[in-house]
Amino acid sequence: MPELLGSVFIHVTWADALVVVALGFVGGVLSGFTGSGGAFFMTPGMMNLGVTGVVAVGSNVAHRMGNNLMGSLKHAKLGNVDTKLAAWLLVPALVAVRVAVWINGKLFQLKGGHEGGGEGAASNLYISVVFVGVLTAVGIFILRDALRSRHSHDAEGPSMRAANFVSRLRLPPYVYFPVADVKVSVWLVLLVGLALGYLDGTVAIGGFIGVPAMIYLFGVPTSVAPGTELFLAMFGGGLAALSYGYQGLVDIRLTLLLLLGSIIGVFVGTYGTKVVREVLIRLVMGSVILLCVVSRALAIPVYLRQLDLVSFDRRLEPWFNGASTAMLFVAGLGGAGLILVQVVKARLAQRRLHETLRVTRPAAG
Amino acid sequence: MPIIFVCSVPFGGGERLAKGLAAKLGYAYLSREDVVARSNECGIPVGKLEVAMIKKPAARERLARLKERYLAVATATICEKAAEGDLVYYGRAGHLLLPGIGHVLRVRVIPEYSQRLDTAVQRTKLNRERAAAFLDEIDADIRTWVQFVHGVQMDDLQKYDFVVNLEHMSIENAAAALCGIADLPDFRPTPASRRAMDERLLQARARIKLALDPRTADADLTVRSNEGVVTITYMPNQASVAPVIPEILCALPECRELRCTVASTNVLWIQEEFQPGGALLAQVNELARRWGAAVELLRYRPDEPEAALAAPVPQAAGTAPRGADGGIEDDVVETVADADRAFGQMLDTLVHAGCSGGGHTVAGSRERLLAAVNPTISYSLVLVGDVFLGKAAAARTRMTRELTRFLADHLPVPVLPAAELGAKLRFGPAQVVRLAATAVLTAALYAVVFTHQEVFLNVLGGPLHDAHPWGAVALVAVLAPLAAALNAGVTSSLLRLLKLE
Repeated sequence: MPELLGSVFIHVTWADALVVVALGFVGGVLSGFTGSGGAFFMTPGMMNLGVTGVVAVGSNVAHRMGNNLMGSLKHAKLGNVDTKLAAWLLVPALVAVRVAVWINGKLFQLKGGHEGGGEGAASNLYISVVFVGVLTAVGIFILRDALRSRHSHDAEGPSMRAANFVSRLRLPPYVYFPVADVKVSVWLVLLVGLALGYLDGTVAIGGFIGVPAMIYLFGVPTSVAPGTELFLAMFGGGLAALSYGYQGLVDIRLTLLLLLGSIIGVFVGTYGTKVVREVLIRLVMGSVILLCVVSRALAIPVYLRQLDLVSFDRRLEPWFNGASTAMLFVAGLGGAGLILVQVVKARLAQRRLHETLRVTRPAAG
Repeated sequence: MPIIFVCSVPFGGGERLAKGLAAKLGYAYLSREDVVARSNECGIPVGKLEVAMIKKPAARERLARLKERYLAVATATICEKAAEGDLVYYGRAGHLLLPGIGHVLRVRVIPEYSQRLDTAVQRTKLNRERAAAFLDEIDADIRTWVQFVHGVQMDDLQKYDFVVNLEHMSIENAAAALCGIADLPDFRPTPASRRAMDERLLQARARIKLALDPRTADADLTVRSNEGVVTITYMPNQASVAPVIPEILCALPECRELRCTVASTNVLWIQEEFQPGGALLAQVNELARRWGAAVELLRYRPDEPEAALAAPVPQAAGTAPRGADGGIEDDVVETVADADRAFGQMLDTLVHAGCSGGGHTVAGSRERLLAAVNPTISYSLVLVGDVFLGKAAAARTRMTRELTRFLADHLPVPVLPAAELGAKLRFGPAQVVRLAATAVLTAALYAVVFTHQEVFLNVLGGPLHDAHPWGAVALVAVLAPLAAALNAGVTSSLLRLLKLE
């Protein structure tokens, strides 16, 4: 046990367990609210607890495996799954997942690895850099879009600039997807599938880009995109989870603790989408993502030092880690707290409004 | 006399046919250009809307509200013109604008291609090759537009009553033939079809008024109308619009009552007769309270022709005017009046419960019932109660089951027999046992994992894993979904217990 704990897995205290459950809950709230998965909060949260990045990713994708299965079945029942689109995306996604897991596994064995001393620092750095790079772009895009539409007259709905750009491109051959009722270039589908699989395998945020890509780039209706993404994730995320399991990089204890908090969190977050304006959803989503990015960026100097790429006093490491953890919790708790307040307010307002239903008799004329 | 919708593609001769037909019959003529002009006056940029829908598919969700408004303007324009007298309308998909209205003759014109091309060359000054490409392009754009606006294929011939193929018939002869068809009794207005059109007009006018007012212009409102009662439902996050709705709609002609309901979603309850009180009503109210839903009543009379629904429903306290049809007509009249009164009372009950989503009646085939379900309203559940009351019990059960299945196949929402609603809401001993069992299993799973961490970690990443890596795969494949299913089971049972699901 001690050697196991020292090399790959952390010792989980009661306090750690509670924190992971809380991470699951907050991640679930954000996931249900934004519909883009809560890995952007849960993965760095576990890393801040001392979990190696690659194990955090592996445990997180394993946690999503069960949720995806149930969510996708529900969507399929409502006819919100375009299986043809999912199948087209799945092939490149599976290839990319395998590549991503292989890269993570190799990096994990570099510099220390199972032998101790800066274990997994290369992998942690790699995951953090991908996380910061991708989510900075996504966060800024969403936030700018939300802020712009907030002040414009045509306030609702996502920006169409990306879709407009893509619709102007002529990239034959095209394939028609019947449920979504869209015709998309095969090359674009392959590209998105590869990106989705790579991000799912690397940072477990494939779903995070999958839904926006389907809506913004393919023009898939918003009712179909999440269902199709979940269906896809059932296979892509499942393969990622099993691949990490094969490499010995899934901590099932963390998976179970995340599940304990996330399922109730997803319920709260999903309810929140019904009572909060869309522009606020995007504002919260963009803000939380950018704060998570800042949090992860604060941890990068530590990994750089562990790899001897920069040098600074080792005593500063706890400060970086502390600041990163604090920022992450500010982001997660702030976002989830805001959603919870809105949910409670809406629930109370709804009760009041039900009591004061208006029945007026205007003069006919 | 009917409203005649002539539908065709540009340069196809449809416009000439429609004008000729109007002239022959002495009807008024209205075209899509008139609708577009009025839409633009109402602040709906139809040109931009068309381009956005056709060229930017991602815009669909964003432009849905604008589409609703365009449809409202189109409906109001046609209904108002038709109210002045007989009408021929020419457009690309006018036949889809007044679904469920009986006195409508829907004509599709298939053009003669070479003549169409000649006309296109003459008017656009393009060479034949480029004109042909231009025609292909606009045809594709029109198909996309019709699919987006109406959700059906323009070429679906089942949506038309008559198809004129100009390859085999001159425009003049086609117009002459249509004059005879328009005179058939099948397309004459009935009290029911007139009433249905009045409702469409009232609903469309309410929608336009709300869209034009800056205070409600950006709100997602659902507008329904029945027998002069306009029901507006609004989302909880747009509660600020509630006080201004009565103010905006107070001068709406023909509106005798206005009801506003806050609702996160909608439940559609289909039944042949509604009686206030009873266990099912209590269950539906409970469901509406839990979900924050508006309940819309749809009274379905499968054994009656559409024309039977001539009388205003909630006001049917006295005897309904009805032609003598022999037999036990007095009894029938009394029964119908009682049923109408009960339906009105049921609507009032829902109003007082704060969850009324309006109500209306439809008679005829199941296809007519399906057409009466508003596709623009977002329903979370469709409940099918007691229908086919005139049939024997066994036949009623079978037919209700078939109707439920038919609706489930054609509507993108769960369709549930009302008899099963109680079981879905109830938290009885069986649910207690289920909650206890899943909770115990979940606790046992967590206890086993956390009291045997060394074993599990050995399989997942220790020496045992090095020897048998597939063991870790199997463990993850079994434990992750199992834990998710157990946790979900406990959570859903708890939420149900707390009436929060």
